[in-house]
Amino acid sequence: MTTFNRWAFALTLPAVLTTLALYVAPITQVLTLSVTDPRPGLGNYEGLMTSNAVAKVAATTLNVSLLTTIFTIAGAYAIAFGLVHMRVGPRRLAMFLVLVPFWVSVLVRAFSWITILRREGVLNSALSSLGLISEPLNLVYNRIGVVIGMVHYMLPFAVLLIFANLSGIDRRIMQAARSLGARPATIFWRIWLPLSVPGLAVASVFVFIYSLGFLITPALLGAGRTVMIAEFISVQMKTLRWGVATALSVLLLLLVALSVLALMRRPALRAAFEGRPDP
Amino acid sequence: MSQSKFSQDAASIALEKFRSGEIDRRSLLLALGGLGLAVALKPSVGFAEASEIVLCNWGGAAVDAFQKAFGEPFTRKSGTKVTVDGAGPSTSAIRAMVEANAVTWDATDGGMTDAVTLSKGGYVQPIDYKIVDRTKVGPGMSAEFGIGNYVFSNVLTYDSAKTKGVAPAGWADFFDTEKFPGKRTMCKWVQGQLEAVLLADGVPPEKIYPLDVDRAFKKLKPLLPNLIFWDAGAQSQQLFRDGEVVMGNIWHTRASLLRKETQERLTWTWAQNLLFVSAWSVPKNNPAGAKVFDFINSSLDPEGQITLLRLMGNGPTNPKALEMLTAEDRKISPSTPENATTQFKVDPAYYAENEADLQNRYLDFIS
Repeated sequence: MTTFNRWAFALTLPAVLTTLALYVAPITQVLTLSVTDPRPGLGNYEGLMTSNAVAKVAATTLNVSLLTTIFTIAGAYAIAFGLVHMRVGPRRLAMFLVLVPFWVSVLVRAFSWITILRREGVLNSALSSLGLISEPLNLVYNRIGVVIGMVHYMLPFAVLLIFANLSGIDRRIMQAARSLGARPATIFWRIWLPLSVPGLAVASVFVFIYSLGFLITPALLGAGRTVMIAEFISVQMKTLRWGVATALSVLLLLLVALSVLALMRRPALRAAFEGRPDP
Repeated sequence: MSQSKFSQDAASIALEKFRSGEIDRRSLLLALGGLGLAVALKPSVGFAEASEIVLCNWGGAAVDAFQKAFGEPFTRKSGTKVTVDGAGPSTSAIRAMVEANAVTWDATDGGMTDAVTLSKGGYVQPIDYKIVDRTKVGPGMSAEFGIGNYVFSNVLTYDSAKTKGVAPAGWADFFDTEKFPGKRTMCKWVQGQLEAVLLADGVPPEKIYPLDVDRAFKKLKPLLPNLIFWDAGAQSQQLFRDGEVVMGNIWHTRASLLRKETQERLTWTWAQNLLFVSAWSVPKNNPAGAKVFDFINSSLDPEGQITLLRLMGNGPTNPKALEMLTAEDRKISPSTPENATTQFKVDPAYYAENEADLQNRYLDFIS
């Protein structure tokens, strides 16, 4: 370590200490409840392993998070791909439109989706007045509604991540391919897509991890029929089963940590996470 | 010299007023500051003799309503200021406050079940019935750790335009999708939900507890595709406004608001309504100490309870209040004899024992 590095490292100390004191310590204190409340031991974890409700909530959470990830990544890739091919002016406008939802609170968005998707809502009335449907579609207060709301929330994040990756791809490769007679479809499948894998992977993991912890969107758009882990934890808080609530939080934390670790084993992804160019 | 004696005397008057509750802590400190004497008093004096009662309820319109119904009458009588905090006295918030030894609430507005649940962890103190007159409330409304401050009911609410003017006769009709097609709403929180299901299934009221959960789930299962579960009162109201549901098991206060805003198109039946008793609880180490029981005793007077009924629709717990109601009041009060003919009383003791498990089973079942 050079002197400069040591000094640079020392500059991070206040931030590290603040994090330890104000974030790590209180969280550890709360998570300790999982082995002390209501009595010391691993009873809470045993309870989790044998509970049908927990198994179902876990399955729902994974299912909804995976669906959200798939739809978000597909949509975000299309948008980001369009963005990198735009001229600067339109791209600026398009980027602005991608970012607009960031300014709207998650609560407002959930209620807006209810207005659009409910049985006498905007979409169903439009479809039935066009004569396309005779019975209103059940688009909200079920899993479909939850996934729609969550995809909408995650889309801007994924677009930004994938766009950063796509704009870093060396465009001379496409020119070379074209000069050798490759068709646009071949260029997409054999150059764009393979080179997008790191961006897609980072965006997928980000969206997946973020989705695991959704609370308000599933609670409002799922209306009791789609219960995810965060909502289940909040129910345990309300019935004063803090040990169970914190044990579930520990499991969620482990699940997130494991998915990040698993990804970091791949050099290209590690590079993407650490912000270095591909090795 | 005489100047300083006068100041001390003025300070002692201020302190006396403060102790007797005529002025609050802030005014006392202001007065002492004006006299240049604030430093002469230990700060602990102010805290030990807090002359303010802090109520915690669930916010919204209830903040003003509680102030008018419970706060103002008590302040007129005793001179003690009452502050209403609408932060929501959830059992977990109370537990956290007591464990952190930072209690800021004197009386909290929760269910009778919450009172028992909290008492198990030692987070609330017993109601002092030497000060609080338990004969002011109806039978079964005064318990060791909570005393009824108002009652409310879960009622079968319906959209009369969609039922073509036919009123459902009881919970059995809630399950009759032939006679009343359309979606229904029930609450995501289990209290008062399975009772309605079992009543619909023909279980006699006296045999509802202990709940036959398997039987209730079996009855409810075919209805699940037609059900939307509400989480908060405003949401239950919105589902009716939006025309999303034709019937629902919702609070009578929300049903009453719906009836008002739709000129009785959305309305409810008192048939088989499920009565809940809400209760004051006192967190351990509350700032105002025993003084809170004077407040609680005053809050059980009929006048304030009628004010609350008119402002919010919450029914009185004091039987005397029922005799003083107008015809208009009686329509929205769950505990009048005519509205209570087929009423079912939800059992807080059962839920204090079983709620946590039951809530998880119920969530598992409906999701």
